[in-house]
Amino acid sequence: MLSAQERAHIAQVWDLIAGHEASFGAELLLRLFTVYPSTKVYFRHLGDQPDEVQLLSHGQRMLQAVGVAVQYMDNLHAVLSPLADLHAQVLRVDPTNFPLVIQCFQVVLASHLQGEYTVEMQAAWDKFLTGVAVVLTEKYR
Amino acid sequence: MVHFTAEEKAAITGLWGKVNVEEAGGEALAGRKLLVIYPWTQRFFDSFGNLSSASAIMGNPKAKAHGKEVLTSSREAIKNLNNLKDAFAKLSELHCDKLHMDPENFRLLGDVIVIVLATHSGRECTPDMHAAWQKLLSGVATALAHKYH
Repeated sequence: MLSAQERAHIAQVWDLIAGHEASFGAELLLRLFTVYPSTKVYFRHLGDQPDEVQLLSHGQRMLQAVGVAVQYMDNLHAVLSPLADLHAQVLRVDPTNFPLVIQCFQVVLASHLQGEYTVEMQAAWDKFLTGVAVVLTEKYR
Repeated sequence: MVHFTAEEKAAITGLWGKVNVEEAGGEALAGRKLLVIYPWTQRFFDSFGNLSSASAIMGNPKAKAHGKEVLTSSREAIKNLNNLKDAFAKLSELHCDKLHMDPENFRLLGDVIVIVLATHSGRECTPDMHAAWQKLLSGVATALAHKYH
């Protein structure tokens, strides 16, 4: 359950990302592949060395989904249901990988927002993204 | 054993030099942020007093002091990038035998430290820098867990 303050922090940070989903998403993926190379096994369709165009395209899709989650953060089960099906039946990303994505997401936010990224924002986003990951994996078995 | 390339060592020392160690490192923000973001980690710190809110935790003098103590202990050990297991052996025994701390906390703290560094260094925290720091802190966490039995 997100408190009113947490929801406000989440929305406030998202306002800074909105409109820049592609570049933030590309940076997220680049960090993920650089810091945690094993995650690349789930992105074989992007090729051995995904280029900027591919990172921007796929990154945009991922961040747009996060944006939808932000918009409907009180009803993640319903709004993320199709993505939950996709992850359970097709992608089958091992659940241990989601914290790695979340860590990279936090570093993206922290390196862009710097002093403006308060501990309360960091805590709210950690809780929110963890909640998203739980929904994405809850149909796994 | 973790092996750091010349580039990774340069990334680690370069970032450490750029970040004002007295300010960011001296403040040891990561420990207090850990207690805020993952409240269950407070279970080891009943003696700290008021940890009831984010601002209480960030201002807590015992938490601040403890953070600095952890940082000082780590700083010496981190000078031995090539042999983290030996460098942290005594600390590992302490955390197992006396402190009874779950090694998962070392990984959580390491992640928060990377985010603090990213906050301070901004866009200079490139993916390669980020990777080098995660590798270092992951090596430290493993070394700290090595003597658990």
